Amino acid sequence: MSAPAGAEVTVEGVSKGFGRVSALHDVSLSVSPGEAVAITGRSGSGKSTLLALIGGLEQPDGGRVLIDGRALWKDLHPARARREVVGFVFQRHLLLATLSARANVEVPLIGAGVRRAERRRRALALLEEVGIADRAEHLPSELSGGESQRVAVARALANEPRLLLADEPTGALDSTSSERVLDLLFRLREELGMTLLVVSYDSSVGTRADRTVSLIDGHLAAADGALFQHR
Amino acid sequence: MLAIIRTNLLRRFTRTLFTASGIAVGVATIVALLAFTQGLKETAAGFVHLGGSELGVFQANVSEPTASVLPQSIVARLEQRPEVAHATPLLLVVEGLKSDASAIVFGADPAGFFTHNLVLTGGRRPATGAPEVLVGDRLAAQLHLLPGSVLAISGHPYRVAGVYHSGVLFEDSGAVLELAQAQRLTSRPAEVTDVVVQLAPGVRASTAARRIERSFPGTQVITDPQQALRVGANGTLISKAILVIVVIALIVGAISVTNTMAMSVIERQGELGLLSTVGWGPVRVASLILGEGIAVSVLGAAAGLLFGVIGGSLLVRALGVSAYVSPSVTAWGLGRGLLVGVAIGVLGGIYPAWRVTRMRPLKALSAT
Repeated sequence: MSAPAGAEVTVEGVSKGFGRVSALHDVSLSVSPGEAVAITGRSGSGKSTLLALIGGLEQPDGGRVLIDGRALWKDLHPARARREVVGFVFQRHLLLATLSARANVEVPLIGAGVRRAERRRRALALLEEVGIADRAEHLPSELSGGESQRVAVARALANEPRLLLADEPTGALDSTSSERVLDLLFRLREELGMTLLVVSYDSSVGTRADRTVSLIDGHLAAADGALFQHR
Repeated sequence: MLAIIRTNLLRRFTRTLFTASGIAVGVATIVALLAFTQGLKETAAGFVHLGGSELGVFQANVSEPTASVLPQSIVARLEQRPEVAHATPLLLVVEGLKSDASAIVFGADPAGFFTHNLVLTGGRRPATGAPEVLVGDRLAAQLHLLPGSVLAISGHPYRVAGVYHSGVLFEDSGAVLELAQAQRLTSRPAEVTDVVVQLAPGVRASTAARRIERSFPGTQVITDPQQALRVGANGTLISKAILVIVVIALIVGAISVTNTMAMSVIERQGELGLLSTVGWGPVRVASLILGEGIAVSVLGAAAGLLFGVIGGSLLVRALGVSAYVSPSVTAWGLGRGLLVGVAIGVLGGIYPAWRVTRMRPLKALSAT
Protein backbone atom coordinates (compact mmCIF):
# COMPACT_ATOMS: atom_id res chain seq x y z
CA MET A 1 0.00 0.00 0.00
CA SER A 2 1.30 3.48 -0.83
CA ALA A 3 1.90 5.91 2.01
CA PRO A 4 0.00 9.15 1.36
CA ALA A 5 1.26 12.22 3.18
CA GLY A 6 -0.97 13.70 5.84
CA ALA A 7 -3.28 16.61 5.15
CA GLU A 8 -2.98 19.99 6.79
CA VAL A 9 -6.17 21.12 8.54
CA THR A 10 -6.95 24.73 9.43
CA VAL A 11 -10.10 25.72 11.25
CA GLU A 12 -10.64 29.48 11.22
CA GLY A 13 -13.17 31.06 13.57
CA VAL A 14 -15.78 28.40 12.98
CA SER A 15 -19.23 28.66 14.54
CA LYS A 16 -22.13 26.30 14.24
CA GLY A 17 -25.59 26.22 15.75
CA PHE A 18 -28.54 23.86 15.51
CA GLY A 19 -31.68 25.90 15.91
CA ARG A 20 -31.29 27.91 19.09
CA VAL A 21 -28.44 25.76 20.37
CA SER A 22 -24.94 27.03 19.68
CA ALA A 23 -22.73 23.95 19.27
CA LEU A 24 -19.45 25.68 18.38
CA HIS A 25 -18.45 29.26 18.88
CA ASP A 26 -15.55 30.91 17.07
CA VAL A 27 -13.28 27.86 17.14
CA SER A 28 -9.85 27.98 15.51
CA LEU A 29 -7.44 25.11 15.24
CA SER A 30 -4.43 24.19 13.15
CA VAL A 31 -3.32 20.63 12.61
CA SER A 32 -0.03 19.90 10.87
CA PRO A 33 0.31 17.17 8.21
CA GLY A 34 0.75 13.79 9.88
CA GLU A 35 -0.12 15.07 13.33
CA ALA A 36 -2.36 13.05 15.67
CA VAL A 37 -4.69 15.20 17.73
CA ALA A 38 -7.04 14.01 20.43
CA ILE A 39 -10.17 16.10 20.92
CA THR A 40 -11.70 15.77 24.34
CA GLY A 41 -14.54 17.37 26.18
CA ARG A 42 -17.74 16.60 27.99
CA SER A 43 -20.85 15.39 26.26
CA GLY A 44 -22.42 18.21 24.24
CA SER A 45 -19.22 20.25 24.16
CA GLY A 46 -19.17 20.26 20.34
CA LYS A 47 -16.47 17.62 19.63
CA SER A 48 -18.48 15.65 17.10
CA THR A 49 -19.76 18.85 15.49
CA LEU A 50 -16.17 20.05 15.03
CA LEU A 51 -15.27 16.75 13.38
CA ALA A 52 -18.38 16.94 11.17
CA LEU A 53 -17.40 20.44 10.04
CA ILE A 54 -13.83 19.36 9.29
CA GLY A 55 -15.16 16.41 7.30
CA GLY A 56 -17.69 18.56 5.40
CA LEU A 57 -20.70 16.70 6.81
CA GLU A 58 -22.08 20.05 7.94
CA GLN A 59 -21.52 23.57 6.72
CA PRO A 60 -20.33 26.12 9.28
CA ASP A 61 -22.54 29.14 10.03
CA GLY A 62 -19.43 31.28 10.29
CA GLY A 63 -15.71 30.89 9.67
CA ARG A 64 -14.17 28.29 7.40
CA VAL A 65 -12.35 24.99 7.26
CA LEU A 66 -9.32 24.59 5.03
CA ILE A 67 -7.79 21.31 4.00
CA ASP A 68 -4.33 21.71 2.50
CA GLY A 69 -5.14 25.40 2.11
CA ARG A 70 -8.38 24.79 0.17
CA ALA A 71 -11.60 26.03 1.75
CA LEU A 72 -14.28 23.41 2.11
CA TRP A 73 -17.60 24.28 0.43
CA LYS A 74 -15.81 26.92 -1.64
CA ASP A 75 -12.63 25.58 -3.23
CA LEU A 76 -13.25 21.95 -2.37
CA HIS A 77 -16.65 20.23 -2.57
CA PRO A 78 -17.21 18.29 0.64
CA ALA A 79 -18.22 15.08 -1.17
CA ARG A 80 -15.02 15.28 -3.17
CA ALA A 81 -13.03 15.92 0.01
CA ARG A 82 -14.54 12.79 1.59
CA ARG A 83 -13.82 10.84 -1.56
CA GLU A 84 -10.22 11.94 -1.96
CA VAL A 85 -8.85 13.27 1.33
CA VAL A 86 -10.97 12.38 4.36
CA GLY A 87 -11.85 9.06 5.95
CA PHE A 88 -14.40 8.67 8.77
CA VAL A 89 -14.68 6.20 11.63
CA PHE A 90 -17.69 6.51 13.92
CA GLN A 91 -18.60 5.20 17.35
CA ARG A 92 -20.89 2.68 15.69
CA HIS A 93 -19.45 0.78 12.78
CA LEU A 94 -22.42 1.67 10.48
CA LEU A 95 -21.74 -1.27 8.19
CA LEU A 96 -24.40 -2.08 5.59
CA ALA A 97 -26.11 -5.14 7.04
CA THR A 98 -26.75 -6.94 3.74
CA LEU A 99 -23.21 -6.63 2.43
CA SER A 100 -20.20 -8.74 3.41
CA ALA A 101 -17.22 -7.18 5.17
CA ARG A 102 -15.39 -7.03 1.84
CA ALA A 103 -18.34 -5.46 0.04
CA ASN A 104 -18.65 -2.86 2.81
CA VAL A 105 -15.03 -1.88 2.32
CA GLU A 106 -15.68 -1.61 -1.41
CA VAL A 107 -18.52 0.91 -0.97
CA PRO A 108 -16.33 4.05 -0.92
CA LEU A 109 -14.47 2.71 -3.95
CA ILE A 110 -17.76 2.41 -5.86
CA GLY A 111 -18.33 6.07 -5.05
CA ALA A 112 -14.89 6.85 -6.42
CA GLY A 113 -15.60 4.94 -9.64
CA VAL A 114 -12.93 2.26 -9.09
CA ARG A 115 -13.37 -0.83 -11.28
CA ARG A 116 -14.67 -4.02 -9.76
CA ALA A 117 -11.49 -6.12 -9.86
CA GLU A 118 -9.42 -3.30 -8.40
CA ARG A 119 -12.06 -2.69 -5.70
CA ARG A 120 -11.95 -6.30 -4.67
CA ARG A 121 -8.16 -6.36 -4.57
CA ARG A 122 -7.94 -3.21 -2.48
CA ALA A 123 -10.70 -4.28 -0.09
CA LEU A 124 -9.02 -7.60 0.59
CA ALA A 125 -5.66 -5.89 1.11
CA LEU A 126 -7.24 -3.50 3.61
CA LEU A 127 -8.98 -6.29 5.50
CA GLU A 128 -5.59 -8.02 5.64
CA GLU A 129 -4.10 -4.78 6.95
CA VAL A 130 -6.63 -4.55 9.79
CA GLY A 131 -6.21 -8.25 10.56
CA ILE A 132 -9.59 -9.54 9.55
CA ALA A 133 -9.02 -11.00 6.07
CA ASP A 134 -10.37 -14.39 7.17
CA ARG A 135 -13.77 -12.78 7.83
CA ALA A 136 -13.95 -11.01 4.44
CA GLU A 137 -17.09 -12.78 3.22
CA HIS A 138 -18.94 -12.62 6.53
CA LEU A 139 -21.94 -10.39 7.07
CA PRO A 140 -21.76 -7.75 9.83
CA SER A 141 -24.20 -9.82 11.88
CA GLU A 142 -21.59 -12.58 11.94
CA LEU A 143 -18.85 -10.31 13.29
CA SER A 144 -18.11 -9.17 16.84
CA GLY A 145 -18.21 -5.47 17.74
CA GLY A 146 -14.44 -5.17 17.58
CA GLU A 147 -14.27 -6.99 14.26
CA SER A 148 -17.00 -4.78 12.81
CA GLN A 149 -15.16 -1.68 13.92
CA ARG A 150 -11.98 -2.95 12.26
CA VAL A 151 -13.97 -3.39 9.04
CA ALA A 152 -15.18 0.20 9.51
CA VAL A 153 -11.54 1.31 9.82
CA ALA A 154 -10.68 -0.57 6.64
CA ARG A 155 -13.63 1.13 4.90
CA ALA A 156 -12.39 4.53 6.11
CA LEU A 157 -8.99 3.77 4.57
CA ALA A 158 -10.36 2.50 1.26
CA ASN A 159 -9.85 5.75 -0.62
CA GLU A 160 -6.36 6.19 0.87
CA PRO A 161 -7.29 9.28 2.89
CA ARG A 162 -4.69 11.75 4.12
CA LEU A 163 -6.91 12.79 6.99
CA LEU A 164 -8.63 10.26 9.23
CA LEU A 165 -11.43 11.54 11.47
CA ALA A 166 -12.46 9.17 14.24
CA ASP A 167 -15.50 10.09 16.33
CA GLU A 168 -15.34 8.06 19.54
CA PRO A 169 -14.21 4.97 17.64
CA THR A 170 -14.05 2.86 20.79
CA GLY A 171 -17.19 4.19 22.45
CA ALA A 172 -19.20 1.04 21.76
CA LEU A 173 -16.42 -1.47 22.46
CA ASP A 174 -15.19 -3.34 25.52
CA SER A 175 -11.76 -2.46 26.87
CA THR A 176 -9.89 -5.22 25.03
CA SER A 177 -11.46 -4.38 21.69
CA SER A 178 -10.93 -0.67 22.38
CA GLU A 179 -7.22 -1.21 22.86
CA ARG A 180 -6.99 -3.21 19.64
CA VAL A 181 -8.82 -0.60 17.61
CA LEU A 182 -6.73 2.25 19.04
CA ASP A 183 -3.54 0.25 18.41
CA LEU A 184 -4.73 -0.21 14.85
CA LEU A 185 -5.58 3.45 14.27
CA PHE A 186 -2.32 4.78 15.61
CA ARG A 187 -0.27 2.08 13.88
CA LEU A 188 -1.88 2.88 10.56
CA ARG A 189 -1.34 6.58 11.15
CA GLU A 190 2.37 5.85 11.72
CA GLU A 191 2.64 3.63 8.66
CA LEU A 192 0.62 5.76 6.30
CA GLY A 193 1.61 9.18 7.58
CA MET A 194 -2.01 10.32 7.80
CA THR A 195 -3.23 13.20 9.89
CA LEU A 196 -5.43 11.80 12.63
CA LEU A 197 -8.12 13.56 14.64
CA VAL A 198 -9.71 11.43 17.32
CA VAL A 199 -12.66 12.46 19.45
CA SER A 200 -12.68 10.35 22.59
CA TYR A 201 -13.54 10.15 26.26
CA ASP A 202 -10.81 7.52 26.53
CA SER A 203 -7.86 9.02 28.42
CA SER A 204 -5.45 6.61 26.72
CA VAL A 205 -6.13 8.35 23.40
CA GLY A 206 -4.58 11.53 24.79
CA THR A 207 -1.39 9.71 25.74
CA ARG A 208 -1.05 8.21 22.25
CA ALA A 209 -1.76 11.48 20.41
CA ASP A 210 0.80 14.20 19.68
CA ARG A 211 -1.51 16.79 21.17
CA THR A 212 -4.80 17.08 22.97
CA VAL A 213 -7.32 19.88 22.57
CA SER A 214 -10.41 20.27 24.71
CA LEU A 215 -13.79 21.77 24.01
CA ILE A 216 -15.91 23.34 26.69
CA ASP A 217 -19.43 24.36 25.70
CA GLY A 218 -18.45 24.93 22.11
CA HIS A 219 -15.27 26.86 22.90
CA LEU A 220 -11.76 25.57 22.41
CA ALA A 221 -9.90 25.38 25.74
CA ALA A 222 -6.21 25.32 26.59
CA ALA A 223 -4.67 22.34 28.33
CA ASP A 224 -5.29 23.99 31.71
CA GLY A 225 -8.92 24.53 30.84
CA ALA A 226 -8.72 28.27 30.09
CA LEU A 227 -10.61 29.28 26.98
CA PHE A 228 -8.68 30.28 23.88
CA GLN A 229 -9.68 33.65 22.56
CA HIS A 230 -9.72 33.74 18.82
CA ARG A 231 -8.35 36.92 17.38
CA MET B 1 -23.74 -0.09 -7.94
CA LEU B 2 -25.84 -2.73 -9.69
CA ALA B 3 -25.01 -5.20 -6.94
CA ILE B 4 -26.20 -2.73 -4.30
CA ILE B 5 -29.40 -2.07 -6.27
CA ARG B 6 -30.04 -5.81 -6.52
CA THR B 7 -29.36 -6.35 -2.81
CA ASN B 8 -31.63 -3.47 -1.80
CA LEU B 9 -34.50 -4.72 -3.95
CA LEU B 10 -34.12 -8.30 -2.71
CA ARG B 11 -33.98 -7.41 0.96
CA ARG B 12 -37.42 -5.81 0.63
CA PHE B 13 -38.65 -8.59 -1.58
CA THR B 14 -42.37 -8.42 -0.79
CA ARG B 15 -42.52 -4.68 -1.31
CA THR B 16 -40.55 -4.98 -4.56
CA LEU B 17 -42.87 -7.76 -5.69
CA PHE B 18 -46.05 -5.77 -5.02
CA THR B 19 -44.71 -2.61 -6.66
CA ALA B 20 -43.52 -4.57 -9.71
CA SER B 21 -46.88 -6.37 -9.87
CA GLY B 22 -48.75 -3.06 -10.00
CA ILE B 23 -46.55 -1.91 -12.86
CA ALA B 24 -46.94 -5.30 -14.57
CA VAL B 25 -50.74 -4.94 -14.58
CA GLY B 26 -50.51 -1.49 -16.17
CA VAL B 27 -47.99 -2.55 -18.80
CA ALA B 28 -49.89 -5.78 -19.53
CA THR B 29 -53.07 -3.79 -20.15
CA ILE B 30 -51.26 -1.49 -22.54
CA VAL B 31 -49.58 -4.35 -24.42
CA ALA B 32 -52.82 -6.34 -24.66
CA LEU B 33 -54.74 -3.36 -26.00
CA LEU B 34 -51.97 -2.50 -28.44
CA ALA B 35 -51.96 -6.11 -29.68
CA PHE B 36 -55.74 -5.93 -30.02
CA THR B 37 -55.61 -2.64 -31.91
CA GLN B 38 -52.89 -3.96 -34.19
CA GLY B 39 -55.11 -6.97 -34.85
CA LEU B 40 -57.98 -4.62 -35.61
CA LYS B 41 -55.78 -2.73 -38.05
CA GLU B 42 -54.90 -5.93 -39.83
CA THR B 43 -58.57 -6.84 -39.92
CA ALA B 44 -59.36 -3.39 -41.22
CA ALA B 45 -56.79 -3.95 -43.96
CA GLY B 46 -58.83 -6.95 -45.06
CA PHE B 47 -62.00 -4.96 -44.64
CA VAL B 48 -60.75 -2.25 -46.98
CA HIS B 49 -59.64 -4.70 -49.61
CA LEU B 50 -62.65 -7.04 -49.50
CA GLY B 51 -62.73 -9.32 -52.51
CA GLY B 52 -59.58 -7.73 -53.90
CA SER B 53 -61.02 -4.20 -54.01
CA GLU B 54 -58.88 -1.07 -53.81
CA LEU B 55 -61.29 1.07 -51.83
CA GLY B 56 -64.63 0.92 -50.08
CA VAL B 57 -67.41 3.49 -50.12
CA PHE B 58 -69.23 3.82 -46.79
CA GLN B 59 -71.78 6.11 -45.21
CA ALA B 60 -69.99 9.00 -43.52
CA ASN B 61 -69.97 9.58 -39.74
CA VAL B 62 -71.05 6.10 -38.67
CA SER B 63 -70.16 4.50 -35.31
CA GLU B 64 -68.31 1.76 -37.16
CA PRO B 65 -68.04 0.67 -40.81
CA THR B 66 -70.48 -2.24 -40.39
CA ALA B 67 -73.20 0.24 -39.33
CA SER B 68 -73.02 2.03 -42.70
CA VAL B 69 -76.19 2.19 -44.85
CA LEU B 70 -76.12 3.19 -48.54
CA PRO B 71 -78.78 2.98 -51.27
CA GLN B 72 -78.06 0.18 -53.71
CA SER B 73 -78.67 2.61 -56.57
CA ILE B 74 -75.31 4.21 -55.84
CA VAL B 75 -73.57 1.18 -57.39
CA ALA B 76 -74.73 1.95 -60.94
CA ARG B 77 -73.73 5.60 -60.57
CA LEU B 78 -70.32 4.64 -59.27
CA GLU B 79 -69.72 2.28 -62.20
CA GLN B 80 -70.30 5.16 -64.58
CA ARG B 81 -67.42 7.16 -63.15
CA PRO B 82 -64.21 7.17 -65.19
CA GLU B 83 -61.95 6.32 -62.23
CA VAL B 84 -64.00 3.18 -61.41
CA ALA B 85 -63.43 -0.10 -63.28
CA HIS B 86 -65.84 -2.24 -61.25
CA ALA B 87 -68.07 -1.65 -58.25
CA THR B 88 -70.01 -4.26 -56.31
CA PRO B 89 -72.30 -3.86 -53.30
CA LEU B 90 -72.01 -5.69 -49.99
CA LEU B 91 -74.54 -6.02 -47.20
CA LEU B 92 -72.88 -7.15 -43.98
CA VAL B 93 -75.02 -9.22 -41.63
CA VAL B 94 -73.41 -9.17 -38.20
CA GLU B 95 -74.39 -11.57 -35.43
CA GLY B 96 -76.41 -13.52 -37.97
CA LEU B 97 -74.96 -16.85 -36.93
CA LYS B 98 -76.01 -18.02 -33.49
CA SER B 99 -73.42 -20.78 -33.62
CA ASP B 100 -70.64 -18.18 -34.03
CA ALA B 101 -71.79 -14.67 -33.23
CA SER B 102 -68.51 -13.13 -34.37
CA ALA B 103 -68.80 -14.47 -37.92
CA ILE B 104 -69.96 -12.04 -40.61
CA VAL B 105 -72.37 -13.01 -43.37
CA PHE B 106 -71.68 -11.09 -46.57
CA GLY B 107 -74.62 -10.39 -48.80
CA ALA B 108 -72.97 -10.10 -52.22
CA ASP B 109 -74.01 -9.74 -55.86
CA PRO B 110 -73.39 -13.18 -57.44
CA ALA B 111 -72.20 -11.43 -60.59
CA GLY B 112 -69.85 -9.04 -58.76
CA PHE B 113 -66.08 -9.42 -58.42
CA PHE B 114 -66.37 -10.13 -54.68
CA THR B 115 -68.20 -13.40 -55.24
CA HIS B 116 -66.31 -14.11 -58.42
CA ASN B 117 -62.90 -13.90 -56.65
CA LEU B 118 -63.78 -16.54 -54.02
CA VAL B 119 -61.91 -19.78 -54.67
CA LEU B 120 -64.11 -22.80 -54.10
CA THR B 121 -62.43 -25.63 -52.23
CA GLY B 122 -65.51 -27.82 -52.17
CA GLY B 123 -69.07 -27.99 -53.54
CA ARG B 124 -70.41 -25.49 -56.05
CA ARG B 125 -71.72 -21.93 -56.29
CA PRO B 126 -75.32 -21.39 -55.07
CA ALA B 127 -78.13 -21.52 -57.60
CA THR B 128 -79.76 -18.14 -58.21
CA GLY B 129 -82.71 -17.53 -55.85
CA ALA B 130 -82.17 -20.81 -53.98
CA PRO B 131 -81.81 -20.76 -50.15
CA GLU B 132 -78.14 -21.64 -50.40
CA VAL B 133 -74.98 -20.20 -48.94
CA LEU B 134 -71.22 -20.37 -49.38
CA VAL B 135 -69.16 -20.74 -46.22
CA GLY B 136 -65.54 -19.83 -45.61
CA ASP B 137 -63.13 -22.67 -44.93
CA ARG B 138 -62.36 -21.46 -41.37
CA LEU B 139 -66.05 -21.28 -40.48
CA ALA B 140 -66.64 -24.66 -42.13
CA ALA B 141 -63.87 -26.20 -40.06
CA GLN B 142 -65.11 -24.56 -36.89
CA LEU B 143 -68.76 -25.58 -37.31
CA HIS B 144 -67.97 -28.86 -39.09
CA LEU B 145 -69.89 -27.77 -42.21
CA LEU B 146 -69.71 -29.58 -45.54
CA PRO B 147 -71.52 -29.03 -48.83
CA GLY B 148 -75.05 -30.19 -48.13
CA SER B 149 -75.01 -29.17 -44.46
CA VAL B 150 -77.62 -26.74 -43.17
CA LEU B 151 -76.62 -23.42 -41.63
CA ALA B 152 -79.10 -21.19 -39.77
CA ILE B 153 -78.69 -17.48 -40.50
CA SER B 154 -80.86 -15.19 -38.37
CA GLY B 155 -83.03 -18.20 -37.67
CA HIS B 156 -83.52 -19.16 -41.33
CA PRO B 157 -82.07 -22.40 -42.70
CA TYR B 158 -79.70 -22.28 -45.67
CA ARG B 159 -78.06 -25.21 -47.34
CA VAL B 160 -74.30 -25.02 -47.75
CA ALA B 161 -73.65 -25.12 -51.50
CA GLY B 162 -69.87 -24.82 -51.28
CA VAL B 163 -66.82 -23.95 -49.21
CA TYR B 164 -64.45 -21.15 -50.26
CA HIS B 165 -61.08 -19.69 -49.38
CA SER B 166 -60.18 -16.05 -49.94
CA GLY B 167 -57.13 -15.54 -47.74
CA VAL B 168 -58.76 -12.75 -45.76
CA LEU B 169 -59.25 -13.87 -42.15
CA PHE B 170 -62.75 -12.71 -41.56
CA GLU B 171 -63.99 -13.51 -45.06
CA ASP B 172 -62.84 -17.06 -44.47
CA SER B 173 -64.43 -16.98 -41.00
CA GLY B 174 -67.80 -15.93 -42.45
CA ALA B 175 -70.33 -16.87 -45.11
CA VAL B 176 -71.54 -15.38 -48.40
CA LEU B 177 -75.21 -15.11 -49.25
CA GLU B 178 -76.84 -13.79 -52.40
CA LEU B 179 -77.39 -10.02 -51.90
CA ALA B 180 -81.13 -10.14 -52.57
CA GLN B 181 -81.54 -12.88 -49.97
CA ALA B 182 -79.49 -10.95 -47.41
CA GLN B 183 -81.67 -7.88 -48.01
CA ARG B 184 -84.83 -9.91 -47.45
CA LEU B 185 -83.35 -11.53 -44.37
CA THR B 186 -82.53 -8.17 -42.80
CA SER B 187 -85.63 -6.41 -44.15
CA ARG B 188 -83.43 -3.87 -45.91
CA PRO B 189 -84.52 -3.94 -49.53
CA ALA B 190 -82.39 -1.83 -51.87
CA GLU B 191 -79.89 -1.06 -49.14
CA VAL B 192 -76.27 -2.06 -48.83
CA THR B 193 -73.57 -1.56 -46.22
CA ASP B 194 -70.86 -0.47 -48.59
CA VAL B 195 -69.69 -0.64 -52.16
CA VAL B 196 -66.26 -2.07 -52.87
CA VAL B 197 -64.47 -0.66 -55.87
CA GLN B 198 -61.74 -1.72 -58.27
CA LEU B 199 -60.14 1.28 -59.91
CA ALA B 200 -59.48 1.94 -63.57
CA PRO B 201 -55.83 1.43 -64.58
CA GLY B 202 -53.53 4.31 -63.64
CA VAL B 203 -55.92 5.92 -61.16
CA ARG B 204 -54.54 6.60 -57.68
CA ALA B 205 -56.74 5.51 -54.78
CA SER B 206 -56.40 8.86 -52.98
CA THR B 207 -57.40 10.80 -56.09
CA ALA B 208 -60.37 8.53 -56.72
CA ALA B 209 -61.43 8.78 -53.07
CA ARG B 210 -61.42 12.57 -53.21
CA ARG B 211 -63.48 12.66 -56.40
CA ILE B 212 -66.02 10.07 -55.22
CA GLU B 213 -66.56 11.82 -51.88
CA ARG B 214 -67.11 15.10 -53.73
CA SER B 215 -69.60 13.53 -56.14
CA PHE B 216 -71.48 11.55 -53.47
CA PRO B 217 -72.07 13.76 -50.44
CA GLY B 218 -72.62 11.83 -47.22
CA THR B 219 -70.21 9.08 -48.18
CA GLN B 220 -66.73 8.33 -46.95
CA VAL B 221 -64.20 6.44 -48.98
CA ILE B 222 -61.75 4.24 -47.13
CA THR B 223 -58.50 3.44 -48.85
CA ASP B 224 -56.21 2.27 -46.02
CA PRO B 225 -56.58 0.33 -42.74
CA GLN B 226 -55.70 3.33 -40.55
CA GLN B 227 -58.53 5.22 -42.17
CA ALA B 228 -60.89 2.30 -41.60
CA LEU B 229 -60.07 2.42 -37.90
CA ARG B 230 -60.48 6.18 -37.77
CA VAL B 231 -63.80 6.10 -39.58
CA GLY B 232 -65.25 3.77 -37.00
CA ALA B 233 -66.04 5.40 -33.69
CA ASN B 234 -65.19 2.08 -31.99
CA GLY B 235 -61.68 2.09 -33.44
CA THR B 236 -61.24 5.70 -32.40
CA LEU B 237 -62.59 4.87 -28.98
CA ILE B 238 -60.06 2.06 -28.56
CA SER B 239 -57.19 4.30 -29.65
CA LYS B 240 -58.27 6.96 -27.17
CA ALA B 241 -58.83 4.37 -24.46
CA ILE B 242 -55.27 3.16 -24.93
CA LEU B 243 -53.97 6.70 -24.57
CA VAL B 244 -56.01 7.20 -21.41
CA ILE B 245 -54.81 3.86 -19.99
CA VAL B 246 -51.19 4.74 -20.80
CA VAL B 247 -51.56 8.04 -18.95
CA ILE B 248 -53.33 6.38 -16.00
CA ALA B 249 -50.72 3.61 -15.88
CA LEU B 250 -47.96 6.23 -15.89
CA ILE B 251 -49.57 8.25 -13.10
CA VAL B 252 -50.58 5.31 -10.90
CA GLY B 253 -47.31 3.48 -11.54
CA ALA B 254 -45.23 6.57 -10.87
CA ILE B 255 -47.12 7.27 -7.63
CA SER B 256 -46.61 3.66 -6.59
CA VAL B 257 -42.88 3.79 -7.30
CA THR B 258 -42.60 7.22 -5.65
CA ASN B 259 -44.31 5.88 -2.55
CA THR B 260 -42.11 2.79 -2.43
CA MET B 261 -38.89 4.68 -3.00
CA ALA B 262 -39.82 7.53 -0.64
CA MET B 263 -40.49 4.98 2.11
CA SER B 264 -37.24 3.30 1.28
CA VAL B 265 -35.36 6.61 1.48
CA ILE B 266 -36.88 7.40 4.88
CA GLU B 267 -36.08 3.94 6.21
CA ARG B 268 -32.55 4.02 4.85
CA GLN B 269 -31.55 7.53 5.84
CA GLY B 270 -28.63 6.22 7.87
CA GLU B 271 -27.40 4.04 5.04
CA LEU B 272 -27.70 6.85 2.50
CA GLY B 273 -26.02 9.23 4.93
CA LEU B 274 -23.20 6.75 5.24
CA LEU B 275 -22.76 6.58 1.47
CA SER B 276 -22.47 10.34 1.49
CA THR B 277 -19.98 10.16 4.36
CA VAL B 278 -17.71 7.78 2.48
CA GLY B 279 -17.55 10.10 -0.51
CA TRP B 280 -20.55 9.33 -2.69
CA GLY B 281 -21.63 12.61 -4.24
CA PRO B 282 -25.31 13.66 -4.18
CA VAL B 283 -25.74 12.73 -7.85
CA ARG B 284 -24.39 9.22 -7.30
CA VAL B 285 -26.60 8.61 -4.24
CA ALA B 286 -29.59 9.96 -6.18
CA SER B 287 -28.66 7.67 -9.08
CA LEU B 288 -28.82 4.72 -6.72
CA ILE B 289 -32.38 5.60 -5.72
CA LEU B 290 -33.37 6.33 -9.31
CA GLY B 291 -31.71 3.08 -10.40
CA GLU B 292 -33.71 1.12 -7.85
CA GLY B 293 -36.92 2.76 -9.08
CA ILE B 294 -36.09 1.95 -12.69
CA ALA B 295 -35.03 -1.61 -11.83
CA VAL B 296 -38.31 -2.40 -10.07
CA SER B 297 -40.23 -0.83 -12.97
CA VAL B 298 -38.32 -2.76 -15.60
CA LEU B 299 -38.98 -5.97 -13.65
CA GLY B 300 -42.67 -5.12 -13.58
CA ALA B 301 -42.66 -4.13 -17.23
CA ALA B 302 -40.96 -7.39 -18.25
CA ALA B 303 -43.64 -9.40 -16.45
CA GLY B 304 -46.25 -7.04 -17.94
CA LEU B 305 -45.03 -7.76 -21.49
CA LEU B 306 -45.51 -11.47 -20.92
CA PHE B 307 -48.94 -11.06 -19.36
CA GLY B 308 -49.89 -8.57 -22.08
CA VAL B 309 -49.18 -11.06 -24.86
CA ILE B 310 -51.35 -13.64 -23.08
CA GLY B 311 -53.93 -10.96 -22.23
CA GLY B 312 -54.26 -9.94 -25.88
CA SER B 313 -55.52 -13.41 -26.80
CA LEU B 314 -57.83 -13.52 -23.80
CA LEU B 315 -59.24 -10.11 -24.70
CA VAL B 316 -60.36 -11.07 -28.21
CA ARG B 317 -61.94 -14.23 -26.83
CA ALA B 318 -63.71 -12.29 -24.09
CA LEU B 319 -65.05 -9.82 -26.66
CA GLY B 320 -66.14 -12.66 -28.92
CA VAL B 321 -64.23 -11.32 -31.91
CA SER B 322 -61.60 -14.01 -32.20
CA ALA B 323 -63.00 -15.09 -35.58
CA TYR B 324 -61.96 -11.91 -37.32
CA VAL B 325 -59.56 -10.16 -34.96
CA SER B 326 -56.29 -11.87 -34.25
CA PRO B 327 -54.17 -10.01 -31.63
CA SER B 328 -50.92 -8.99 -33.23
CA VAL B 329 -47.92 -8.40 -30.99
CA THR B 330 -45.33 -6.20 -32.66
CA ALA B 331 -41.84 -5.24 -31.52
CA TRP B 332 -43.00 -1.63 -31.38
CA GLY B 333 -45.97 -2.63 -29.21
CA LEU B 334 -43.65 -4.43 -26.78
CA GLY B 335 -41.20 -1.52 -26.97
CA ARG B 336 -43.93 0.93 -26.01
CA GLY B 337 -44.86 -1.26 -23.02
CA LEU B 338 -41.24 -1.35 -21.91
CA LEU B 339 -40.91 2.37 -22.48
CA VAL B 340 -43.90 3.02 -20.25
CA GLY B 341 -42.30 0.81 -17.58
CA VAL B 342 -39.01 2.72 -17.72
CA ALA B 343 -40.88 6.05 -17.73
CA ILE B 344 -42.75 4.95 -14.58
CA GLY B 345 -39.42 4.17 -12.91
CA VAL B 346 -37.88 7.49 -13.90
CA LEU B 347 -40.94 9.57 -12.97
CA GLY B 348 -41.45 7.67 -9.73
CA GLY B 349 -37.80 7.90 -8.75
CA ILE B 350 -37.34 11.62 -9.36
CA TYR B 351 -38.86 12.92 -6.13
CA PRO B 352 -37.17 10.42 -3.75
CA ALA B 353 -33.88 10.97 -5.59
CA TRP B 354 -34.27 14.72 -5.23
CA ARG B 355 -34.95 14.27 -1.51
CA VAL B 356 -31.72 12.34 -1.18
CA THR B 357 -29.74 15.19 -2.69
CA ARG B 358 -31.20 17.50 0.01
CA MET B 359 -30.26 15.13 2.82
CA ARG B 360 -27.72 16.34 5.39
CA PRO B 361 -25.29 13.47 6.03
CA LEU B 362 -24.88 14.12 9.76
CA LYS B 363 -28.63 14.26 10.36
CA ALA B 364 -29.11 11.16 8.21
CA LEU B 365 -26.46 9.27 10.18
CA SER B 366 -28.10 10.19 13.45
CA ALA B 367 -31.33 8.56 12.18
CA THR B 368 -29.73 5.09 12.39
